[in-house]
Amino acid sequence: MNKYIILIFALFLGINAYASSHREAPMIANDPLADNVDLYAFRSAGNTVTFIATYVPGQLPHGGPNYYNFGPNIRYEIHIDNNTNTAGDDIIYRFTFFRIDEDPSTFFNIRLGKQNLRMYYNLQRSDNGGKSFVTILASASVAPPNIGARSISSPVGLNTTYPALVNQATRYTHTGETVFVGPSDDPFFVDLGGIFDLGDAPRQDGKSIDNLACKNVSAIAIQVPIGYLLNNKAARTPSTILDPNYVIGVWASASRRKISTLSAGKETHSGDWVQVSRLGMPLTNEAVIPIGHKDYWNSITPYQEISDTLLDNYFYNPELALYMDDSLFGGAVPAFSQLRIQRNSLGAYDFGNGNDGLFGLKGNAALAGTALDDAVFGTLLLPGPGKPRSVDLWPVFHTGVPNVIPYQLATGKNGNPLAAGKPFINNFLPNGGDMLRLNMAVPMTDRKSPEFSSLGLLAAAVSGLTDPKYNSNSNLEFIPNMDGFPNGRRLEDDVTRIELMAVSGIVLAAIGLWYDDFVAGASPVTTKLVNVLSYKTGVEANDASFRAGFPYVAMPWAGDGPCGGVLADSASSGVAMASFLGFSPVSVQSAKKMFTAANFPNPFVNQTEIQVEVEKAGNYTIQVYDITGRVINDLFSGPLSQGMHTYQWNKAAVVAPGQYFMRVSNLDDKTFQVIKMSKQ
Amino acid sequence: MIFKTNTPVLIKSRTQVLAFVLWISMMVVAHASSHREAPLIANDPLADNTDLYAFRSPDNPNTITIIANYIPAELPYGGPNYYTFGENIRYEIHIDNDASKPGDEIVYRFVFTRINEDPTTFFNIRLGKQNIKTTYTLSRSIDGGKTFVDVVTNGLVPPPFIGPRSINSAVGLNTDYDQLINGAITTASTGEKVFCGPADDPFYVDLGGIFDLGNSPRQDKKNRDGLARYNVHSIVIQIPIATLRKIGADSTPTSILDPNYVIGVWASSSRRSIRTLNSNGAAPEVSGDWVQVSRLGMPLTNEAIIPIKDKDYWNSITPYEDLTDTRMDEYFYNPELSLYMDDAQFGGAVPSFSPLRIQRNSLQAYDFGNGKNGLFGLKGNPALAGTALDDAVFGTLLLPGAGKPRSVDLWPIFHTGVPNVIPYQLATGKNGNPLAAGKPFINNFLPNGGDMLRLNMSTPVTPRNDPKFSSMGIIAAAVAGLTDTAYNKSTAIQSIPNMDGFPNGRRLEDDVTRIELQAVAGVALAAIGLWYDDYTAGGANPVTTKLVNVLTYSTGVEKNDKPFKDVFPYVARPWSGTEVQ
Repeated sequence: MNKYIILIFALFLGINAYASSHREAPMIANDPLADNVDLYAFRSAGNTVTFIATYVPGQLPHGGPNYYNFGPNIRYEIHIDNNTNTAGDDIIYRFTFFRIDEDPSTFFNIRLGKQNLRMYYNLQRSDNGGKSFVTILASASVAPPNIGARSISSPVGLNTTYPALVNQATRYTHTGETVFVGPSDDPFFVDLGGIFDLGDAPRQDGKSIDNLACKNVSAIAIQVPIGYLLNNKAARTPSTILDPNYVIGVWASASRRKISTLSAGKETHSGDWVQVSRLGMPLTNEAVIPIGHKDYWNSITPYQEISDTLLDNYFYNPELALYMDDSLFGGAVPAFSQLRIQRNSLGAYDFGNGNDGLFGLKGNAALAGTALDDAVFGTLLLPGPGKPRSVDLWPVFHTGVPNVIPYQLATGKNGNPLAAGKPFINNFLPNGGDMLRLNMAVPMTDRKSPEFSSLGLLAAAVSGLTDPKYNSNSNLEFIPNMDGFPNGRRLEDDVTRIELMAVSGIVLAAIGLWYDDFVAGASPVTTKLVNVLSYKTGVEANDASFRAGFPYVAMPWAGDGPCGGVLADSASSGVAMASFLGFSPVSVQSAKKMFTAANFPNPFVNQTEIQVEVEKAGNYTIQVYDITGRVINDLFSGPLSQGMHTYQWNKAAVVAPGQYFMRVSNLDDKTFQVIKMSKQ
Repeated sequence: MIFKTNTPVLIKSRTQVLAFVLWISMMVVAHASSHREAPLIANDPLADNTDLYAFRSPDNPNTITIIANYIPAELPYGGPNYYTFGENIRYEIHIDNDASKPGDEIVYRFVFTRINEDPTTFFNIRLGKQNIKTTYTLSRSIDGGKTFVDVVTNGLVPPPFIGPRSINSAVGLNTDYDQLINGAITTASTGEKVFCGPADDPFYVDLGGIFDLGNSPRQDKKNRDGLARYNVHSIVIQIPIATLRKIGADSTPTSILDPNYVIGVWASSSRRSIRTLNSNGAAPEVSGDWVQVSRLGMPLTNEAIIPIKDKDYWNSITPYEDLTDTRMDEYFYNPELSLYMDDAQFGGAVPSFSPLRIQRNSLQAYDFGNGKNGLFGLKGNPALAGTALDDAVFGTLLLPGAGKPRSVDLWPIFHTGVPNVIPYQLATGKNGNPLAAGKPFINNFLPNGGDMLRLNMSTPVTPRNDPKFSSMGIIAAAVAGLTDTAYNKSTAIQSIPNMDGFPNGRRLEDDVTRIELQAVAGVALAAIGLWYDDYTAGGANPVTTKLVNVLTYSTGVEKNDKPFKDVFPYVARPWSGTEVQ
């Protein structure tokens, strides 16, 4: 166990060795091209791990004429730490982009096989923590925006199919990585409107909405053989499914040059590269870090977090916990009423904000040899009084969770959380920084398996506690979804729900620190526990199905499809036409309510049938005008009952080719509708 | 009789043009140019000017309302950091009311400041406190930008309309959103009424269709308003006409087309030339000169006329620099869009535009197809004497050379406005000769050569509830002047409904996408008597199938998704974060 102390020492030593990245971001929200939206890391077929970093949030599929893309003059990076003995990153993938306009004479993005704002990228890899880089893909093409059928599929566009373009944009490096860079459906799903309206998730009116549905992002997907990601101590085959040498920490970032200068029709960039966005664990900077520190959080690297003591307190005493505690502001957020943290777990431990949690055990002989023993992990997990969540939320975000007492399932503990229990996680990589941590030795759960769950590791914990297949012993064995968040992050994982449940103390419960309504000797599956486990945000899955194979993300929504705007009122076309005939456009609008008229076919050759669907019975006239406004045919005049009425225009065969207008009027309401009819 | 009426106009115009040409040569030196590279202003949303409107206020016709919108396609639920105006940006509305003086006459400059009232929460609004709370200072220059005076300080920007818990409930602001809007309306020390805040985007357009190679209206008829249910940030300012009119203009207009009542309006945003990212997570340092990064005058110029290679450049120059630039002019003389409205070019490639066909053989004499001569063959013809096409009257601006067919309609609509001078009068009364005097319908002539919205402030307001109110703007007025017996019996100046519509200024309701596509298809030429090819010169009825095809062309998206307000600030309440997907 002493090796952990060594690791932590190495970590502290590392601070000086690693050049810090700095940045300002009054709001990265204002720099969408560099805004890192989400990060995923999961095992994939063929002994590989797939990383997906998404950028440029909330893209409208129809966002033309300059559709969204990656930006030049930005470094997009995916960082991997596989060894806390070496300072900083061990592997870095760096993507940089350049742009070519293939036909500068048009304002269209794609025309006649040519593409404007066409983006290419170079991919470089560093195996020495960023000291040197080797180019492993040069001038690779980014998939174009999915503008619509005319631009993509028609002969006046690219004359291809969008899936073919995705395939073309999937590239293989000489070092074994598979890479895709291009737009995709945003794989994340969340009720932004509800949750940021003071925590209204699930919405109390029952109408939760996935606000990222129908939006695209710009995705970087890279699939890497596990062998490339291992540290130098790892065996080629993992020693167990929780082999500690198979843990990687992953984070993504975007950096810009320190100085940008606008002049003489150009923007130039100079100076050091400055980190402007980063992402490891989902939602850290959205829902844990308060507004006053969000920009600062974005500006530092994960390796700088261990020396930062300011931010730790938001994990020790998270704002969200205020809304899950009836003695604080629990009453103010009714949507969270199922989520209540332990204020009196096992009749002894209070995890309410400002209380001591497990700190009262400090120095207790019962902690000897556990992760809470200062001799084992230093004072990281029990740093002081008044920091109740230093034992669960802080390590979940900053070190990962070791397969060490007390971080084993309550199964086999016989009521003592400090006893050995059933192992369920080891993604321990104690560098102190916010990262996604994945134990690559954990087997995959088949996405098609009935046991696959978007609750990730929580689903595995529930199985390990309650499923007789797993809870009859405390052996290490594979439980479905042990490969789920927060052990890495799969595209399907419902991280909003999992994190809200984690803030509500679910991890503490899993290791035997049950909810307040648990009575010793009785079932720990109490009402409060069931409440937390059955909490939902109301948005549990992505709006598009993920693909079974690389790059896994769904195709981007098309600009000309149902996500490209709100269907226009088809009746409105009559308005302006009527105005040319000197009619009132105002009353045409209200005509819709009384009746609807149409003719078929239109255009016509020798005959056309006029249909009037009457919603309100009354007196009507139907007249046909020529283009000068002259009435050439009084087709009908008299009362019409509710329902469909059809008329043949008896002059259709004899009038000259050209435009005619049919005017249907309700004489009672003085409303009418005008339809243009074309004789060919 | 009509010629006499026009004579003073012509003299005035000649004076203006002379002054104008003189001033241009001076301006190049005197007016500091603004340059910038914008690989894509699309990537700097806070500074992205999305739309500009200028209209006589329907409920207060002694004033003009100007609306400049910024920050495109705001998602109403775009939390936790909801959109607002940016710091370190100058948002400006510029007004030119006198082409004989270089540059702007009046500039309104808005500068914003953000504060956090409760930095301990990640919520935007909590317990009566608001984060990223934004206030502004409005300063005004009446000497072309040399000096500014603060006329509003500490103006309040309403918070984002997050949802009922944040706005209405006791744990939020415990108020009502309409109250927040009304509370943010203020009056400047110099009399202008001002509002800055989020609003429903008043523009409506089928982005997904039109930018998919011109599929508008969509061939499958499923037209979509691509801006429905998104917000923008609006700057709305209502200014007395007395403040805006040219010095020396009569206090009561001499006619409803008084040439001294024309203003040109444009909006912009500028940033400092140097931005230095900070090393401690604090705001960036900015320094250096202010550089224009976005501008807007006429709608859709930079979207659908300027091709991709020049879009950034176009954004970087001022309207006053447009005139000395000859490269951009070509996109108006021979617009890309007209390639798709001409069967001899790429007309067949864009089926949606099939009702739009430009004149290739108007009056069996004039070819307005790209690369053709349009009216240039008339150059020097005595028939042009005294008209706007006479070099002695307007110089060579309107007939600059061969192969520039749209120099007589599209170029002036965007760059000078249209004078009430032959041939720019309706065909009514012309008896088949487009070079005869006709019925006046527009005078928004302000010949500074730059892309601006030009509004004649003496043109009467069409009430929004008038049955004749039309989103077709001045095209509706032209149609009425040609076909409505109330107007087409004489060539007298009459107030025709919608003469106050685009491109004479721009009202919120005006369907500018449709109007501009019809203009590219030559509808302005037709209105002045240069009829479509299927009209035979001398024939009885110029309202031919081709004309009706153009007039009835529609993109299928003809109105905003929300009704506008009858009163200031006119724009509709923003969509709340919880009411839309």
